[in-house]
Order: sequence, then structure tokens, then C-alpha cells
Amino acid sequence: MSKAMLIDTTRCIGCRACQVACKSWHNLPGERTVFSDTWSNPRYLDSSNYTRIIFREVAKPDDEVRWYFVKRQCMHCLDPACASVCPVGALYRLDNGAVVYADEKCIGCRYCMMACPFQIPKFEWGSAVPLIRKCDFCADRQAIGLAPSCSTTCPTQALLFGDRKALMQEAHRRIGAHPGKYFPQVYGDKIVGGTAKLYLTPVSFETLGLDHRGFRTDLGNVPYGIYGREWMSKVPFVALTVGGLAVGLHYINQRRAEVQGQKSQEGKED
Amino acid sequence: MADKVEKWYPGEGKLTLGRTVLYVILMVGIISAAARLFLGLGATTNLNDAYPWGLWISFDILSGVALAGGGFTMAAAIYIFNLKKYEPLLRPAKLSAFIGYLVFVVGLFFDLGQPWRIWHPMVMWNPQSVLFEVSWCVMLYTTVLGTDILIMGLERLGKHDLVKFFRNIYLVLVVAGVMLSTLHQSSLGALYLLMPEKMSDLWASRAIGPLFFCSAVIGGMSVIIIESLISSWAYQRKPETKLLSSFSKGLGMALLVYFAMKVTDLYARGATVWVFDKPHFFFYVELFGTVALPAILLTFSEVRNSIKGLYWAAGLSAFGVVLNRFNVSLTSYGGYREFSYFPSFIEIVITLALIAGGILIFDLGTRYLPLYPSELSGEAG
Repeated sequence: MSKAMLIDTTRCIGCRACQVACKSWHNLPGERTVFSDTWSNPRYLDSSNYTRIIFREVAKPDDEVRWYFVKRQCMHCLDPACASVCPVGALYRLDNGAVVYADEKCIGCRYCMMACPFQIPKFEWGSAVPLIRKCDFCADRQAIGLAPSCSTTCPTQALLFGDRKALMQEAHRRIGAHPGKYFPQVYGDKIVGGTAKLYLTPVSFETLGLDHRGFRTDLGNVPYGIYGREWMSKVPFVALTVGGLAVGLHYINQRRAEVQGQKSQEGKED
Repeated sequence: MADKVEKWYPGEGKLTLGRTVLYVILMVGIISAAARLFLGLGATTNLNDAYPWGLWISFDILSGVALAGGGFTMAAAIYIFNLKKYEPLLRPAKLSAFIGYLVFVVGLFFDLGQPWRIWHPMVMWNPQSVLFEVSWCVMLYTTVLGTDILIMGLERLGKHDLVKFFRNIYLVLVVAGVMLSTLHQSSLGALYLLMPEKMSDLWASRAIGPLFFCSAVIGGMSVIIIESLISSWAYQRKPETKLLSSFSKGLGMALLVYFAMKVTDLYARGATVWVFDKPHFFFYVELFGTVALPAILLTFSEVRNSIKGLYWAAGLSAFGVVLNRFNVSLTSYGGYREFSYFPSFIEIVITLALIAGGILIFDLGTRYLPLYPSELSGEAG
């Protein structure tokens, strides 16, 4: 059964307990950070921060300025681009929906970082033996029947963990039950073929100004891996065609040259 | 046969100024490469999470492979289209192609986060991945080119039995080389099929594979011309002006085809072409300055028949191929518009060292391998 997480951003109070829980479960180092004008801390995801809360201060249509808190982490696509592009298959999707990474396979080419439409995989730039790091949906916790550490910690139940189908129903129930409270689309429902992280937001990601900061709305509903697979499916035919043409043309052109050579020979004899 | 090769190279074995400079760059590069290995990518490069791919991908890999397209282009012209008159250009083209791929492999080695795992794609397969296919093709094609160089070496050593054996299976090598090149030259472009949302409209095309293939042919042909002209200058030989001028007609044709492909692609996608900003500036330079301009230049027989003209036309088109690769991989890439990237000193030095190393190997090859038919009788066709 494919698991998912419903992230109801209207319930988030920006306490960042999820960030702490994530760090402690994954044994990630703490670090000295600086306050920035984005209010968010840390300012970017990196190889030792798999999740963070983005703070946004946005004026609502009635001119009331409101805070919005949006959790960011790996979206755990149903058909992940990163897994599709990895030349050694180091990234792959488990049956429960977690997109995970095999440390021992990775060669460090960083194609996953380029291909991810959400720009999630991060690289251990500081290490001489670097690996890719990102949220793994607490696959190890899921394996022993536990919910991911962030959702376990969340004090306001903004992070609901469960079966994807049931959570989609719950999301639509909330949208229907509280008209005006939610933007009527679930981010993650269909985008890039669907993701395991489902977002309920009060307004669209464009209004939040996040549509170019990890929550793009122009990605379409087609999984990006399809473009690579489409290309790869043509490779055998291109190979055979080029090979066949090369051999064929070689013999034809060689024969033609021979015939021409003979003709000019005959011409000389005449 | 092989022992007929005479020392024709003036000042052979001497450490000239040019070579000294190249060796110095190479040494600095080797030290930088060691620093890169021991300190890691973060400490030695300006790459970061926003720009995971930088100068090394753009130049050593994308540009290097495209400029090394001369090997398969020449082999196809001579063995498949039977244009035997270009044979004097074949062997230097193969050598420069082999060196281009060596540069690629060494460049990739230092770019990978875990270079000692460079062999992983051989045993860990992901047939969905374009990069997986590229790594196999490059591996096999470098082997094909290596075999070619090995045959030249065997000829030089006078191992006629072995040379005969390879000559018998030579068509297999040619066909394999052309096939593998077609695949990976275009697939290097297809790597960018998966990130249209991060790229400028000017380069994010569904047709990027065929466009990469066509520009690799251009890159290969222009490098053959430049390399032949520079060799004759450096080794004080008579330049093959007549042959090159006829060959440059082919380059002109390829440029015209490529220009038509680019324009058709932009028109079909309805890309906004007439805007003035930084990406568009580089785009105009690329399309008009390095594709259209050399194509127009090459229509004049005065240009084709003069060494200076050939230098300019071939130089512009080769530069255009490099510019295109930089545009696709860096100018166009707007994943994080609030960040910018400029390569670090070490990145630049390692790239320069790869070029210097390539030239030095070419120099060695020119001195020790039978590259020109005049040096060998009985060149098998």
C-alpha cells in the first residue's frame, strides 16, 4: 500500500519541531545558523537539513497580513525523476512510496540534483567522500511500523501520515467542509504524475510566492522520467538503423567505386 | 614499411618554449587535481547545491566530446561514403578524437563525487537512464578509438600479422564507432530533456538530441581543419590547402543544415527570440555569430582557399559548438535564479591542464605514430 503524508499548511504554527525530530532521527549534526530576512531557518535545504519550514508573510485579499508556514522536503514522487535518471540505480522507490538512496552505489554524478523538478537531492560538498542526501520518508521507521519522525512530532497534526488514497479523500473532505479556507487544489495530487506528499494550502503557491522556490505549479502532470524513457526506448532502433545503414552504404559505395573504376579502365582501353 | 618513417620533425626531442608552458600548466593541474581529490569538491570548486554541474560538465564533457566528433565523422566519410580523397585527414582526426575522449574520461573522473566508482555503471544497470547509456557508449567508443591507436602503434612496431588481423575486422570497428557516436553524441543532449522547467526556452527543446548530434559533426569537422592547419604550422609541413578547402564545403553544408534545424525548432516551439537580456545575447552570438556567419563565409571560394579564411570559419564554428554546450548547460540553466556560478581557480586550472595534456599527447602521437599516409606505404582502406 502506497503511503503518503497530508501536509495541511493551515494547521502549521511554524514551531519547527519537525526539523528537530528529523535531525535527531537521522543523526544529523546541529549547526550554528544566522537569522535572515526570510525568517526561515535554515535558509536552504542541504545535506544535513532534509526538511525546513518556509515562513511567508503574505497579504490576503482583504488586506490582512498573515503568516504562512510551508514545510519543504522530498516530495516522494510516485514516478520519481531522480530514480529514472540515476545511471547506477542508486535512487529507487519502495513499495510503500518512499524514494530512497543506496549509499554504496552512488558515483556522485549529481544528475539527480539536476533532474529533480523540486530540487531536492543535496550533495555533501564538504566531504571528500560525498554522498547524496535527502528526506527518505523515514523508510527505516516505516519498515518497523512507525510513522515518519516529523509527523510523529508535529504538535498540531499538520502532518498526517497514512494511505495515500485515504489521505486524498480526507484532503477533499476538508476542502469541501471549509469553503474559503483552502485553495481548492491539492498540490501533489497529479503534479509530475503525483507525489506522496500532499499539500493543502490556504492560497495557491503562486500567491505564496513559492512557485519558483521548490513548489512549481507549471510542471504539468506528466512524470519527468518519461522523457528519458521515451528517448531510451528509441535507442535500440537508432542503433540498428545506423548500424545497418553504415554497413549497407559501405558496400554500395565501395561497389559503385569499383564499377566506376572499371568503366574508366575500359574507356582507356578503347 | 614502418621503418621507412623518417625523422622529419625539426628540433625533435627538444624542450621548446611552447612545450615548457604546456608542461607547467599540466603540473599545476596535477597538483590541483590532487587537492580536489583530498579536499573534496566543496573546498576546491564553486559548485554548490544550486549549480551541481559547472565548468567541467560544460567544457570537459559536453564540449570535449562534441569537438572530438571528428573521428567518427571522418571514418563515416571515408569508409561508409567512400570519400577516399580525405584519407590524409583520417588518422590525425582519429588521434584527436581519442585524445578528446581521454580528456572526457579524466575530466569526468575529477568531476564525479566518488571517482573510484567510475566503473559502477558497468555492473549496476539502470536502462531508463540516458546517462547510463552515455556512459556505456563512451566506454565502448573510447575502446574503439583506443584500438585504432593501437593499430597505428602496431604498424609502427612492424607487427604485420596483428595489423592484418585488425584490418580484417576493421569494418566492424568503423560501424561500431559510427553507431556508438551517433547514440552518445545525441544522448548527451537528451540528458537535458528532463529539465525543461529549469532551462531557458531558447535551448529547452524536445529536439535537443538531433541538434547535439548535428553540432557534434560540425565540431568534429572544424577541429579536423584547425588541427590540420596548426599541425602543418607547428611541424613546418605544407598545409593540405586543396583538400581542406574541399572538406570545408562539407562543413559549410553541415552549418547550413544545423542553422535550418535550429530555426525550425525555435519556430515550431514558438520560442521568444527577440528579447534583449543576457541569455538572448549569448543566443544571438551562438546562432548568428558562430553558425550563420561561418556558413556564409564558407560560401566564398576565397575564404575556402585561404589558410586565414579556413582558420576563421573553422574557428568560429568550433567556438560555436563550445558556446552552445555552455549555453545549454549554464546560460540556460536557471534552477536557482538567486544564485550565480563562476568556476573556481582550481576548476579552471584542471580544465586548462586537460587541454595542455591533450596537446602534449597529440604532440607525442605525431612524433611516434604513423599519422600521415606519406609515412606509410600500403595503407589499407
